[in-house]
Amino acid sequence: MRGKIAVIGVGMIRFGELFDKSLENMVQEAYLNCLNNVDKGIDPKEIKAAWFGQWSGGFIGQGTQSGQSLASFIGNREIPVTRIENACPTGGDTFRHACLGVASGLYDVVLALGAEKMRDKPSAESLGGAGSGGGAETGSHPAWMIGHGGPSIQAMHATRQMYELGYTMEDFARVAVKNHHNGMFCPYAHYQFEITLERVLSSYVVCWPLHLLDCCPQTDGAAAVIVCRADLAKRYTDNPVYVMASNVGVDHSQLWDRDSFVEQLATVRAAKGAFEMAGIKPGEVDFAEVHDCFTNTELMNIEDIGFVRKGEAARMLKDGEFDLHGRLPINPSGGLKAHGHPIAATGLGQIFEVVTQLREEAGQRQVKLKKGIGLQHNVGGPAFGVSVVNILSRTV
Amino acid sequence: MTQPAPASPLFWRFNPEVYRLIGIKCKDCGHISYPRTKICHECGSLNLEEYKLPKKGTVHTYCVNWTPPPTFEPPITPVIIDLEGGGRYQGLMTETSTPEDVKVGSKVEMVLRKVTTDRGLNVYGYKFRLVEEE
Repeated sequence: MRGKIAVIGVGMIRFGELFDKSLENMVQEAYLNCLNNVDKGIDPKEIKAAWFGQWSGGFIGQGTQSGQSLASFIGNREIPVTRIENACPTGGDTFRHACLGVASGLYDVVLALGAEKMRDKPSAESLGGAGSGGGAETGSHPAWMIGHGGPSIQAMHATRQMYELGYTMEDFARVAVKNHHNGMFCPYAHYQFEITLERVLSSYVVCWPLHLLDCCPQTDGAAAVIVCRADLAKRYTDNPVYVMASNVGVDHSQLWDRDSFVEQLATVRAAKGAFEMAGIKPGEVDFAEVHDCFTNTELMNIEDIGFVRKGEAARMLKDGEFDLHGRLPINPSGGLKAHGHPIAATGLGQIFEVVTQLREEAGQRQVKLKKGIGLQHNVGGPAFGVSVVNILSRTV
Repeated sequence: MTQPAPASPLFWRFNPEVYRLIGIKCKDCGHISYPRTKICHECGSLNLEEYKLPKKGTVHTYCVNWTPPPTFEPPITPVIIDLEGGGRYQGLMTETSTPEDVKVGSKVEMVLRKVTTDRGLNVYGYKFRLVEEE
């Protein structure tokens, strides 16, 4: 894959509680922003295939979407369009499918777009009632009918991180403080305000050991990326970003089949494969957007991707190594924690951030580039058994 | 208002697993899982045997959920249990005077309790309660 694919345009809308926007409104705005982002211009008809990221479909009142929805929204029904759903990595995997489309040689220019409306229904009905594991009255097995959702599953990991690795609630809270700080400088972030350690630790306990401010918000949003054949990229932009690797990793779909609760093998596998594909080592990455749906999850991700050894992330976070101007900035966009988590848009929003950083257009939140390589990561699913890792670089 | 169902298909289908605790053990890799399956989730082997899960174990991990779905009274304490002899079970604690009584490593046993309500019907399953250290 390396050397074959370039990103020529990225576009998104500010994530948030967008009660005034429908799914179609969000999709069209992100799409038009993406077209306008192609600096030498692009005729929309040059897009020869598209992939539409949509996680929840009918679960939370968006209707069951398919490829035709995106085709109609963008007024282009002459091309193949497919819906992608792959849990929280939906956005990152939608990008991967677009890359595979170009790498296959079938298409020169394609679109990846993800959008999600999370806020039209209250939390209990949307996330709580939607996940195959989360529903009180749904589920693949009776063992799931015990009120599990994202917070309780990650809280069980957090308990074990505290037990095995000696992590504390303060360690988790520091992730929220860092990411909220970064989010202040990102005009697309859902939350653009600072929080203190004390405020995180005194916030409502959602699911012990996780507080309200350890959890990402539920967010509406949309994001889009146009990718093309690397050798054609300069036709469209003077500032292309190249795709080094795009990989999905999986693990068991049931918690009771899994072994460790301080490691998510889906991430380990996605990252290992991606680094092999890219031909680089984790140490060569300048910065990363990782899936901090919960604060403890960010620490686990940093370790599982291979940036640091298991059990070291909390200390290094405390030492400032993952700060905006630290050794390895993690989540310069504010992460899911501050930037928001509109599921199918999340991964593509992270790609937007990685591309913006690699183009050195990130303003106050610009990280220092050394090798010019950035990484994007998602993990999710009922037992956090699916993950995606995309690696992008400034040079081919 | 949803029509009451004559029975919960989910619980009817999984009766052997939920009430008689029948799972599988892989003769090749030793992995224990439930519900019964024809292909080992861990290694892909077809060489499996039925395995009755024990009712006793220890808490591998847990959390205290103060924001469960509306059909539950908070707080609830979901647990992952290391079963005696291997394998894990996912469930809820019951009969704890306070969630703080539950720790990683606490000894527990299964007891039959109401789990939830499915379209107006009570459905029962195993929950875990703390047992005294011997």
